Amino acid sequence: MVEVTDVVCSLCGCVCDDIVVEVEDNKVTKVKKGACAVGKSKLMGHGRIESPAIRENSSLKECSYDDAIKKAAEILAAARKPLLYGWSSTVCEVDKVGVELAEEIGGIIDNTASVCHGPSVLAIQDVGLPSCTLGEVKNRADLIIYWGANPAAAHANHMKRYSYISKGYWTEEGKKKKKLVVVDVRKTTTAKLADVFLQIEQGKDYLVFSALRALLYGYEDVVPEEVGGISKKNLLETVRIMKEAKFGIIFFGLGVTHTRGRHNNIVNAIQTTRAAHTHTKFSIMPMRGHYNVNGFNQVCTWETGYPFAVDLSRGYAWYNPGETSSTDLLVRRECDAALFIATDPGAHFPAESIRHLSKIPVIQIDPFPNPTTEFADVVIPAAISGIEAEGNVYRMDNIPIRLRKLVDTEYMADEEIMKRILDEVRAIREKEGE
Amino acid sequence: MQTIKLKIKEEVTSGAAKIPVEVDPLTPDKLAGKTEAEIKAVKVWWGNKEENTGDLFDVSVEGEAGSAEEVKIVLEGDLSRVKHIGDGMKAGEIEAQGDVDMHCGAMMQGGRVTVKGNADCWAGREMRGGELIIEGDAGANLCAMYRGEMTGMTGGKVIVGGNADECAAQYMAGGEILIKGNTNILAGLNMSGGKIVIEGDAVMPCADMTGGEMMVKGSKVRDIIPSFRLVGTESIDGVEYKKYIGDLAMTEKKAKGVLYVK
Repeated sequence: MVEVTDVVCSLCGCVCDDIVVEVEDNKVTKVKKGACAVGKSKLMGHGRIESPAIRENSSLKECSYDDAIKKAAEILAAARKPLLYGWSSTVCEVDKVGVELAEEIGGIIDNTASVCHGPSVLAIQDVGLPSCTLGEVKNRADLIIYWGANPAAAHANHMKRYSYISKGYWTEEGKKKKKLVVVDVRKTTTAKLADVFLQIEQGKDYLVFSALRALLYGYEDVVPEEVGGISKKNLLETVRIMKEAKFGIIFFGLGVTHTRGRHNNIVNAIQTTRAAHTHTKFSIMPMRGHYNVNGFNQVCTWETGYPFAVDLSRGYAWYNPGETSSTDLLVRRECDAALFIATDPGAHFPAESIRHLSKIPVIQIDPFPNPTTEFADVVIPAAISGIEAEGNVYRMDNIPIRLRKLVDTEYMADEEIMKRILDEVRAIREKEGE
Repeated sequence: MQTIKLKIKEEVTSGAAKIPVEVDPLTPDKLAGKTEAEIKAVKVWWGNKEENTGDLFDVSVEGEAGSAEEVKIVLEGDLSRVKHIGDGMKAGEIEAQGDVDMHCGAMMQGGRVTVKGNADCWAGREMRGGELIIEGDAGANLCAMYRGEMTGMTGGKVIVGGNADECAAQYMAGGEILIKGNTNILAGLNMSGGKIVIEGDAVMPCADMTGGEMMVKGSKVRDIIPSFRLVGTESIDGVEYKKYIGDLAMTEKKAKGVLYVK
């Protein structure tokens, strides 16, 4: 038995890096410290795709890695509008090859931000992001605002490691000297801990942000007695708490990005942070979901100039979420082939998209079987990043952290699979050019 | 006068995948002076491959034109996957006989585009001049901007016969828009100039506005942005309107926009 310390969790955007596990006979046998329940479940492992496979007469037939990779390359090289989607639950090195492949085949590359914090990424492009690291939050923040986010359920270690419950250099008394404000449409588990809970009406976030901005700038006279289900009195109280804080942080989740107003809500949230700057130090940060959803946005930006939903079909980067984002493309039936890596559109995309996916060739690369496997035409199993393969990822606060490898495996790593598909595609295209 | 008829071939739109054809090279100014054979050889993008116009459209040319002003292009067939109609055009006329896909009339500088049906998202995006007439509904981001751009429409005239979806005229800085139906949320978002008249209703109009003018003639304006200041009433063409100034969320110094609602 070997005890491995400082293990990095490859589950959510918190990327906890102080986990201790026990490894015996090339298997993780115990998670001793640091991981939350979901992180622990991933580290301990569960069902896997056993072999590469190609669909023949509507059922998957096992095959070699070579055959599956060759078939995948043939599909992609022949496509007129291929979509390459996923990339968030794997490492940056893989994402880099993904962008190269998209450029080679004139495809569209998009990651899961498209259906989660894509609106945040769009907003950041519009108005910038006054942000900080989670370390700064831990050591300095005395006002934590969770807006449309429920970390107690979705980012279980977030409050303990970085925010409300953590103790840092200037926050050594922990939550005793901090304030917690929660804004949500329902009283969530996180909301139960809050000093102030603002129960907002569904779809009214935009209006409440505008009202807060007006109050922070001192135009109390224009704000009506009630905005989005919140009384002016409570809004004024929130603004008072914001002004009195030494260091405030707004963490926002999909409750804001996926309600009426979408990315414009985030523009308004960022502008609210800016308005708060006229009084005190304030920061804002999206509660990113997958452990490397941010990393793909970083890689895609330094490779193409844009963070996600990049269409390279005309030989240059055309970035227009709403047009070049995966669900829009699939609902409009624009793609004629799709590759999904480290993701599960079968479970997460609208039914209309799945209907179209059933009509076009689909390639899946994933360690685990999931609903996408049920309609994939080529299935390529991969090693689990952070357990069986190493590589770099970006935490939700843009800090790069290197995932460690804990055990050996016979499964091919995502990076090798992608590089081999790219090589095969290039060989096909070279042959066509002859 | 010259009329160029382009009828999209059925095989282009009948596949399992409906891959859009991007026709930005097919504007009167780019086709003026070309023979039928030369038009058929103009390259247009269909997915990641460039194809001859003649392979995707039935092309016919009638009459002659001395300049782009005398060229009229008529697009026929299922145009619901034809993007960038009239994109960047400077003169002449385009008539699309049915529903059109995204970016119709985007970056237009002059001439006229008429859509006989609905136009999908980003119609009239960053329009600088000319006239765009959409007889049906307009999708989201009508006359708005490419992602990340801080300026939308700066000139020209747009008429929408039906409704307009979310974020119509975002970052509008100039020009005129008339929407005969209703608008979805955030019409005139970030508007800094120009004029919008909405004959129907509006929801959350003019957020973060710093200039320009919007008039909503419909009886229902839901969710007025709470950072607008009601400054009084004004009678326009015999109708009483409430006049708001905003958006104060941008600070008083910048809040130079005017919103009239009934």
